[in-house]
Amino acid sequence: MVTLNVNGRSVDLDIDPKMPLLWALRDFLGLTGTKYGCGRALCGACTVHIDGEAARSCSIMAGDAKGQITTIEAVSGKVADAVKAAWQRLNVVQCGYCQSGQIMAAITLLSSNNKPSDQDIDLSMEGNICRCGTYVRIRAAIHEAASKL
Amino acid sequence: MITVRLMRGAVMARLPSRRRAGAAIFASLAGATVVLLTAALSAHGQANTPSDAEKSKALAAWDDIVIVLRHPRCLNCHQENVPLEGDERRIHIPLVVRGPENGEYNSQGVSAMRCRNCHNVSGNNETSGTPGGGDTGGWRLAPRTMTWQGLSSAKLCEIIQDKSLNDNMDGPALIRHMGSALVMWGWEPGGDRTKVPMLHDDFINQMKIWVAGGMACPP
Repeated sequence: MVTLNVNGRSVDLDIDPKMPLLWALRDFLGLTGTKYGCGRALCGACTVHIDGEAARSCSIMAGDAKGQITTIEAVSGKVADAVKAAWQRLNVVQCGYCQSGQIMAAITLLSSNNKPSDQDIDLSMEGNICRCGTYVRIRAAIHEAASKL
Repeated sequence: MITVRLMRGAVMARLPSRRRAGAAIFASLAGATVVLLTAALSAHGQANTPSDAEKSKALAAWDDIVIVLRHPRCLNCHQENVPLEGDERRIHIPLVVRGPENGEYNSQGVSAMRCRNCHNVSGNNETSGTPGGGDTGGWRLAPRTMTWQGLSSAKLCEIIQDKSLNDNMDGPALIRHMGSALVMWGWEPGGDRTKVPMLHDDFINQMKIWVAGGMACPP
């Protein structure tokens, strides 16, 4: 039995503690906004927040996810609102598969650095891959979101 | 002793005769105490000075120790700014950098690219293949002053015992460090990673011999 705190509620799941958090979120809680990409912590599509920090849910074991887990479905607040608005205004998304992970990583970056340089953005977003190549728009959207904070 | 005698002579000359006897006894006792303390400290110093045989054993032990320290399981995270991966020591994919060397995220990356975002404290994740296992500090790079890449055996031996560089660790503290959870991961790295090529107990024994032999280094 594993107890998870997800999007503000506590849930008990009858699962192996070594199950990837991603499976628990998608298959047991129906939170499918978080995507499966590589399953090896290499692409960032599965990024969620644990206590406000970015975490690769395919790699973090459910039993290790002790903190408050937030997924794309429930992320909110001033930074999240600014990021989502910038994403929409600049039409960042192409196919969209990686974008929940991109947005969660961008929120983590701007929560600790509200005036990131291009290098700050590159280093922080390095682990989030976009096969459509929307990196230029992602960077622009992060700068735009930062300007609203 | 010379200082005590000079002081005793000068003080005695200024005292009345009745008090001179008491002062003489006190001064003699003080002098004797200094002699005994000096002898004790000297003996202690001699006891801590390793013999030539112990130094030779320490040098031989170091030759085994350095093989472990240079193994990819150790060396890959004793890097200046970016950890390496695999026995071929490739740059970590995705790219992560050290980040600040202080505070909560001491050498644990930056922003959305922190070590613990992927590496589990509780151990290796055999599903994703991500190694993990650590202590309270979790997965992280070694301090920048403990960058071992490219060092000769002699230089590595020199810096690892330099308390100004090694987080103020003396010999016993270095031995304890080698038994910490993060270091122990090298013996249970998971996946198809090669383990450190020496039993941990044997490694610790070699460390103890090296420390007992004065942490001798090759020329």
